[in-house]
Amino acid sequence: MHYHDICRFLYTEASLLDARRYDEWLDLLDDHIRYRMPLRATRDFKDPCDIVDDMTFFDETKQSLRTRVERFRTTSAWAENPHTRTRHLVTNILVTEENGPDEATVQSYVLILRSIRDNPDVEQLFGERTDVIRRVDGTLKLMERTVRPDQTVLSMLNLSIFV
Amino acid sequence: MKYGKLDRSLLEDVRAKVLRGMLPQWAFTDPEVFKAELEQIFAKTWNFLGHESEITRPGDYVTRWIAHDPVLLLRDAEGKVQAYLNSCTHRGTKLCTADFGNKKAFTCPYHGWTFNLSGELTGIVAGNKVYGEEMDRSQWSLRKIPRVESYQGMIFGSLNEHVEPLETFLGDMKWYFDLMLGRSDHGMEVRGIPQRWIIHTNWKISADNFGGDPYHTAMTHRSTVELGISPKDPMYASYGYQIVLDNGHGINIITRRKDMNVPPFQGLPSTMWSMFERNLDPMQLDVFRNTMITVGNCFPNLSFVSPMHGTGGPGEPLTSFVNFRVWRPLTPTSIEVTSWLMVDQDAPEAFKEASYLSYVGSFGPAGTLEQDDAEIWTRVAEASQGWMTQDKDVHYNNVLNYLMGLDRVEPDPSWPGPGVAYPTCYLDAISRAFYQRWIECLLDDAT
Repeated sequence: MHYHDICRFLYTEASLLDARRYDEWLDLLDDHIRYRMPLRATRDFKDPCDIVDDMTFFDETKQSLRTRVERFRTTSAWAENPHTRTRHLVTNILVTEENGPDEATVQSYVLILRSIRDNPDVEQLFGERTDVIRRVDGTLKLMERTVRPDQTVLSMLNLSIFV
Repeated sequence: MKYGKLDRSLLEDVRAKVLRGMLPQWAFTDPEVFKAELEQIFAKTWNFLGHESEITRPGDYVTRWIAHDPVLLLRDAEGKVQAYLNSCTHRGTKLCTADFGNKKAFTCPYHGWTFNLSGELTGIVAGNKVYGEEMDRSQWSLRKIPRVESYQGMIFGSLNEHVEPLETFLGDMKWYFDLMLGRSDHGMEVRGIPQRWIIHTNWKISADNFGGDPYHTAMTHRSTVELGISPKDPMYASYGYQIVLDNGHGINIITRRKDMNVPPFQGLPSTMWSMFERNLDPMQLDVFRNTMITVGNCFPNLSFVSPMHGTGGPGEPLTSFVNFRVWRPLTPTSIEVTSWLMVDQDAPEAFKEASYLSYVGSFGPAGTLEQDDAEIWTRVAEASQGWMTQDKDVHYNNVLNYLMGLDRVEPDPSWPGPGVAYPTCYLDAISRAFYQRWIECLLDDAT
């Protein structure tokens, strides 16, 4: 799997999310995707693990992600009506593991900037993601995503977005 | 005095309005109200700190807040729960910065003063050489949160040493806490750690929403009706009882109806039912059997919800969860939410997992229900900061509407539980009682 293809996959994904082209975004996800966002904690120096996996902000299947998308299309999902405006800035893409010719584990940084209505303040969410990307029938699919946010207290009022 | 300071006569006016179902909009956003709340409410009453399952072993600790007071909550060497002001007694540094962990002692990074789990000052760098033997170390222990008490594993602290006992403060809320927290042999456990996030709203807006406002579900959460996840009937969340309790507390119990095909005991596995019979009295058991949703608020800012939801999409089986959250007041228009998911320790693993997925899907900042709540609470705060809404000349056109059911809906004396129970949840009775308690707290010390 070429690094270039992985980058194009992740940038395409970011662009679809920011354009709210959710059907095309869902098409990038494998039907058995595991999509999770565990909690970050501030830990003591001697406790190196600062991710708490038992509690998450997202723990999703393709079906539950589709339900979230369908909710945005109703007339009354007020968090996105009017819709918020986001930029998913995806950088520092590293292939951390190659699992054969058709699968890679990929780390990326993400910074999401969000604008809500006429509020000039910028909402931000940032962290790192570990993805498993696989080539299925010639096209790349996201098999797994784990988002590790950097904030222990999110400054976004809600996560009516995908990360 | 149109835009002037809070004084007794103004607050008396507000009380009269609240009793008649009206609340001045500036109550949400006025900086002096906020200051008075910190002093008259949060510094005087009981505040929820955490659950005993978060600190099970000696040395286990979590760091929490009571409004702006940092709290170090831990289990000491004897297994007793202790809570200290999380600030070194030497120069005031925040002593423990981790969210949770296990320690035998806490050392301040500024000059190295060290405190044990009992809060005693056990180590001073270069101790006697610099302070001599005459400094009495016992005078420099960590400052204890003046009162710490628990009920059903729920640990509360108060900054007021003269506060009434916790169980007196909770009063009839205890009966309803038992349904959520005391039904199983080994009580509840917190899953993972609580979620935390910031919302730009006032703490009363969210407390009032959970406490007394099932009416909002039909519109705020209409997206889930459109999706076929929630029932179409706009009266759906009204079926049940709104129960006004003492001290500003309140709970709504939305009951299952025969035509709804909802399982008893909120869908908890039938293997657990014999425990419920053991741990609840017959009246509690009867109420819990027919409970579908509980949602309410323990004054001032501990809200809870225990609904039944699916775990992903339409057609998913219903499951239930227990969620408690604190709306920590940061400023007049911002709160930090700390939200704990709790589950019966005795529940089968499969239920615990389903309960967790149901919570994460529907509540928390990404929850399909909670996303819209936060957005709307933000809009309330946003629209409550201008000149017109800050006008303290209290007249009808400048107040918000809490009239639902006033002089119209009578209590149902046949309700088996304690409190004043009204036979519908579309009612502002709990909100009126919440704001009545709120204004009485502010009046308590007003001049």
